[in-house]
Amino acid sequence: MKFLYSNNIYLNSSIILIINCGGTWRYFLLGKDGQRKNVKHTYRKKTDKRILKKNPWRDYRLHGSILILVIVAEIIGPIEIHLTNSIEISIMPLLYTMVLGLIFYLDKRITWVGKKQSKIAEGAMMLFIGILIAKLAVSSGQSIHLIFEMGPALLLQELGHLATILIALPVALLLGFKRESIGMTSSIGREPEVAVIVDKYGFNSPESRGIFALFIVGTIIGTIFISFLASISVSTLPLHPFAFAMASGVGSASMNAASLGPTLAEFPALETSIEAFAGFSNLLSFSIGIYIVIFIAVPLTEKLYAFLEPKIGRKSIIKKKEENEDA
Amino acid sequence: MPDFIDGTENVSVHGIMNWIRLLIIFSVITVIGNYLGYKHPITDSLVGMGILSLITLAGVWMERELPFNVSSIIYISLIGIILAFPGMPTSNFVLYYVSKIELLSIVTVFLAYVGIGMGKSWKKFKALGWRAIVITILVIASTYYGAAIVAHIVLVLTGVPAV
Repeated sequence: MKFLYSNNIYLNSSIILIINCGGTWRYFLLGKDGQRKNVKHTYRKKTDKRILKKNPWRDYRLHGSILILVIVAEIIGPIEIHLTNSIEISIMPLLYTMVLGLIFYLDKRITWVGKKQSKIAEGAMMLFIGILIAKLAVSSGQSIHLIFEMGPALLLQELGHLATILIALPVALLLGFKRESIGMTSSIGREPEVAVIVDKYGFNSPESRGIFALFIVGTIIGTIFISFLASISVSTLPLHPFAFAMASGVGSASMNAASLGPTLAEFPALETSIEAFAGFSNLLSFSIGIYIVIFIAVPLTEKLYAFLEPKIGRKSIIKKKEENEDA
Repeated sequence: MPDFIDGTENVSVHGIMNWIRLLIIFSVITVIGNYLGYKHPITDSLVGMGILSLITLAGVWMERELPFNVSSIIYISLIGIILAFPGMPTSNFVLYYVSKIELLSIVTVFLAYVGIGMGKSWKKFKALGWRAIVITILVIASTYYGAAIVAHIVLVLTGVPAV
């Protein structure tokens, strides 16, 4: 994270626009004179060197493990659990591979998947997002007429993401969070949003601690949780199938994929349209979503916090949390 | 200090050959999964993955080589949309082969990498209390439902028939 602060240029800029896409980050500084500069990442060279030394494609332990996971998952196939007659949860192979992947890493007996493999997987993953996006884009291109018919819904649902502020912020205050709640509840808290919050409030601020917590918990449980959530929702809520498809573009590629799975399984006849909407929605989340966070979500959270905190705020519970000692 | 923005999030493969090799590995695994799960013919699926890989490669390359500050996701989306655009000479070819690849086959392989990749965050996750988990669940659920409900209302208001 040093790169954010190694550069004093940030202090002078009035607006910083951050675009994260597929893991590559671009910062635009709109200075007071409106001049645009592109800041180069000081860390990229180091990373490239490190990964180059590791030869990511040659790590047969990692790719072999992935192959085993995929074969096992596809042979088991989807499992449907009927909670009642109308409510069913479908557990997709995509969930097995992810959970088993995590178990592979954590299980001490599986010695061939370790920190090195984890790092390579994380790097390789950013390239593979491209395949996912390309597949969605082909469906989008095929169904390009949909964007003309349903453009308003696509655009406005991006604003639906603001619901998190209204619902999660009061609960965070009731649970005893103070300014941490601003970072925690203003957005879904993936990499671009983390950068926005850190940049606005500073690295050691409570707001940043809040979004770090959200980021980490979201990384571990977010994908699994949204897969179950989507699975239950598509079979119980009387919403339009396209609404579920659009909603799956929450701003994280893995969460998008995980919530799309049950939606596709529920409405197999609409496969292409659902993929098309997910593709459009993703494109929007990655292009204008970040501006919604900067210009609407964070200010709105601040306002609501100032209004609610004196009314329902509890005693802070964050005293024992030390300052990011885990480097 | 959290190390999640230490650069591993970047397309951390150097040089076009490394990208190609990684994409080939990914394609082969996906095609195997696609065959086991959906019984699509292997040769057609391989061509489909080849097309998707080429689009990805072009997008990643353009991001680094073109003088615009546009990310690869935008390039990849645009290339995919243009190639499949109705009436384009490429559209039939691309649609035929890409339709042989199920989205879920791609996702299954992709999330396997995600699973191993997120292992690194496990320790930090355990250190956070239940309150953080409650809030995260609320944030994700309300983001998802917020979008779904707004989309539904607008779809109904603009007269899109329920399917």
